[in-house]
Amino acid sequence: MEELIRDLKEQIIDALNLEEITPEDIEDNAPLFGDGLGLDSIDALELIVILDKYYGIKLANPAQGKEIFKSVAAIAEYVAKNRTK
Amino acid sequence: MKISVTGLGIICAIGNDASQVLDSLKNKESGIRPIKYLRSKHVELPVGEVQLSNQQMKDMLGIEGDGPVSRTSLMGAIAIRQALAQAGLGGLEGKRVALISGTTVGGMDITEQYFERMKTDDSLLYLPGSNECGRSTVEMASYAGLKDVQTCTISTACSSALNSIILGSEMLQRDEVDVVIAGGSESLSKFHLNGFNTLMILDKERCRPFDDTRAGLNLGEGAAFVVLQKDADNTLAYVSGYGNRCDAFHQTASSENGQGAFLAMSDALTMANLKPSDIQYVNAHGTGTPNNDISESQALKRVFGESLPEISSTKAFTGHTTSASGSIEAVMCILAMQEGFTPANLGWANPIEGGIVPTMGREGVRLDNVVCNSFGFGGNDSSLILSRSTGGFSAPSKEYEVKEISRQSVDSVEQLPALKEFVTPMESRRMGKLMKAAHLASFRASREAGIECPDAIITATSRGMLEISQQFLDDIVVNDEELLKPTLFMQSTHNTISSAIAIRTKCHGYNITYSHSDESLDWALRDARRLIQTGKARTVLVGSFDESTPYFASFAQRSGETVPPEIQALSIILTRNED
Repeated sequence: MEELIRDLKEQIIDALNLEEITPEDIEDNAPLFGDGLGLDSIDALELIVILDKYYGIKLANPAQGKEIFKSVAAIAEYVAKNRTK
Repeated sequence: MKISVTGLGIICAIGNDASQVLDSLKNKESGIRPIKYLRSKHVELPVGEVQLSNQQMKDMLGIEGDGPVSRTSLMGAIAIRQALAQAGLGGLEGKRVALISGTTVGGMDITEQYFERMKTDDSLLYLPGSNECGRSTVEMASYAGLKDVQTCTISTACSSALNSIILGSEMLQRDEVDVVIAGGSESLSKFHLNGFNTLMILDKERCRPFDDTRAGLNLGEGAAFVVLQKDADNTLAYVSGYGNRCDAFHQTASSENGQGAFLAMSDALTMANLKPSDIQYVNAHGTGTPNNDISESQALKRVFGESLPEISSTKAFTGHTTSASGSIEAVMCILAMQEGFTPANLGWANPIEGGIVPTMGREGVRLDNVVCNSFGFGGNDSSLILSRSTGGFSAPSKEYEVKEISRQSVDSVEQLPALKEFVTPMESRRMGKLMKAAHLASFRASREAGIECPDAIITATSRGMLEISQQFLDDIVVNDEELLKPTLFMQSTHNTISSAIAIRTKCHGYNITYSHSDESLDWALRDARRLIQTGKARTVLVGSFDESTPYFASFAQRSGETVPPEIQALSIILTRNED
């Protein structure tokens, strides 16, 4: 799980161009949207691409992202359960 | 002085001319079908294609040779010819004529086909630039047989064509021209089909605007043009009012209360000197996305209160014809007024909580005044009122003199780190180099002028967001239309910069982008002066933004032309002399 969390943080930083942020800056359980890292709806779409690209998970409806993308730990949990690659 | 519509032309998924479109609307026959002409692997996505091949359209127009011609130019020329024929102008000799077209995709359908081959094949060196919006308008004029006309191209994403009609009406009022042919044209392209797909707003079923089960839009294509003249005898309908406002909320989503749409409709009513209760029908933007339809519902309720006129979206007939939708739907409004019917909101069954209930179409109604809504990415929201009769427009009570109060430019990437002074790294992380340069020049010019929020924002770009668009095209090739980045697509439209500045400055005023090759800045400045002279705006930010990439620069090198600069951003603040 630790490795998956680490990978996810790097993939998020890369996909969202978070140039001045390192994986250490993102807490596992901190909210990604709103008051936390401050991501927005377009970032949510980029996170959906990450799930598909690296883990073979296809979300049909962007609304599903709301629960899954609460924090990096929440994404890791979802990926661990649903990954196809 | 009244603005008359004296001719109209239309081609879209439900017909190749006005009479076919009218039949389909009355018979409630949708044009949404599986992909037939577009070369895309996404065959699961239904579209509203014009049911003619490129060759068939070339034959209709008498275009010889095997060379590729964009569907944008072909459809546009067909619609222009129809409009001119109906207006019955005879010769245009001795008349001052302007052709104004709205497009965003331009000739992208051609560029994307040859994108890879152009990198090495010198015989294709005439093709780069075919995606320039301005070129498609010049081609249309030529294929439609128009000589000695002014041409202009507006690119405000999906509201482009409605803004063309607005500009044409302004030019007639200012006596800059005698005849205007205004509208828009947009071909389907792999580029924007994939782009909308990354935003996850395409429905795999036929779209259901204003329905609780709506799950997105279907893309369509087409063109429509109207001929506009002053006080003509053979008037089909009058342009009685319009509004162009910016939602200033988000690059690809509308605000919850539909502020931009509300302001655009309110401006149009004020200009037409009409009350909300004078309107019998609204052709809504109604794309079928969860976001648009609830936001537009809120705006409509704010404008019309409890007694809503009949409202429908015609997008389940045609698909969302993006940049052409404004003129396509304005033409449908005129047909509805003439024939006395309201078009059905096909596919609607379940009301949205808090949403409007659309009409399912009625015959035998008298439509005196109708509203046509057209909204674009970046919150470029416009609204047009067409009327059976009107009091017309009077000249402004006072004319103002225009003066420039600041001017700033950015012409190298080395200057870009200075943007930190105005924008946080979190905010600038997605910006390409042109967006950064444009922001830097604009914020410096505003500071120099002592202005936080201008009354209007007008930008000019001849080639648009080349760097980002090229990255997205590369991605389409490399990843075979899969796993593409929404961040790239949402910044690819020509109006991205004008709307981004509006979002940052919370400027809900007039907002437009001209993309007409080397003449873009001239058109932008003309518009800014018009706004200030007539008292419609006190301060206007005018920007001219263009960039190059190694890929596009290599074409210039190979064909021996001047290599365009890497970035070029110029921002000017204009205001009026108060004395």
